[in-house]
Amino acid sequence: MATGHEQWLEQGDIYALGALDGQELKDFEAHLASGCAVCEAYIRETRESLLLLHRAITPFEPSAAMKTRVFDQIADGKRVVPITEAKLRKSRIWLRMSGTIAAGILGVVITATYYHYRYEPRHSVYSAVIDLLRDPNTRDVALYGAGPTPAALGRFLWNKSGEGHLFVTNLPAAPEGKMYAVWTIAQESSPRYVASIRTDAKGLGGVHINAAPSDKPIQTFAVTLEPVGTTAAPTGPMVLVSKQT
Amino acid sequence: MSAQSISSGYLVQQVAQQDREAFSQLYDRCSSLVFSLAMRMLRVRSDAEDLLQEVFVQIWRQASNYSAERGTPEAWIVNIARSRAIDKLRSIRRMEQSFVLTDDPARAESSDNVETAAAESEAKMAMSSALVNLPEAQRRVLELAYFDGLTQTEIAARLKEPLGTVKTRMRSGIQRLREIMKMQAA
Repeated sequence: MATGHEQWLEQGDIYALGALDGQELKDFEAHLASGCAVCEAYIRETRESLLLLHRAITPFEPSAAMKTRVFDQIADGKRVVPITEAKLRKSRIWLRMSGTIAAGILGVVITATYYHYRYEPRHSVYSAVIDLLRDPNTRDVALYGAGPTPAALGRFLWNKSGEGHLFVTNLPAAPEGKMYAVWTIAQESSPRYVASIRTDAKGLGGVHINAAPSDKPIQTFAVTLEPVGTTAAPTGPMVLVSKQT
Repeated sequence: MSAQSISSGYLVQQVAQQDREAFSQLYDRCSSLVFSLAMRMLRVRSDAEDLLQEVFVQIWRQASNYSAERGTPEAWIVNIARSRAIDKLRSIRRMEQSFVLTDDPARAESSDNVETAAAESEAKMAMSSALVNLPEAQRRVLELAYFDGLTQTEIAARLKEPLGTVKTRMRSGIQRLREIMKMQAA
């Protein structure tokens, strides 16, 4: 390698790894932009070397359906849609093609709704949940336990209209003076309070949500344990959270 | 000509011409590579599937951007996948920083998640890997950067080590990987 490049090459290693940051990253990117062929070649070689790291990871095979999903998205006459829209398309196809499965899930949801909401007017809850499930704009998002409640689980039906329904299990009842607050988080936005949710002695709970629609797609759903009345911003520990969607 | 005898570079060239058959072959050849990486980095199957889809749609749309002078197709594809996965990881971290957490966000998954369990057992599989040839300290910083998407500053904070130490370990680890690759090529 050319002399005088040692400093750049040292940074090139870390740049290729994706770990360079701060002013060093800015300086190195400016150096690359100047057209340094030596550094470009060095980074290329480093990236090839880093492929060795793949030998340390557990191999996973994607399902056969994934290939169909990819080809569906690039199919003739179809625009390439953002992944969130692709999910909705998949959901529509799924609903059309898997009537039996859908009916089964619907039955489970209705049954769960019965137990979760036996103190509410049943017909209205049924209707609302069924309408959500029928709507191709409804997303079905899994929530996972976090912080003090790792065993908790949730399922969030969310429609871009702002209507949604959250089911939770294994979430202990909130202590006296506390409540579980439900938040939605859109891209580059602060968490928005949309509801509170109560759970019974068995850790079961649910809530139907009618919030204002969001200008941006919701990326994350979360539930936190808050002092009663907290709605401006989350302050307490997260007990349920979705992965970014 | 058998499918395996066709180079990945040629397949990418054909994909740039919107050749679906070539795209299908490239998918068959590289999807497990991308998916395994996505599972290691994101740890949730649905997220890994989303990433796999995004990567191959990007390949379909941007294959014409690939140049053999910039590396092998596999390195190009992995670079796309890593960049997207790191974006997702950093976005999740930014969101999670707005909450008061009492636990490691990366563990915010159900305890019976077999995918997570599989990912966590990867250290045991390293016996046949290049990583086994690296000192533990070097392997650790490379993993945190490559698979977890942490920057050098974040790694130093995570490990409570001086930044200079982290940099040295990274460079030493990469140099060792270079040597291993050269030995294998020889």
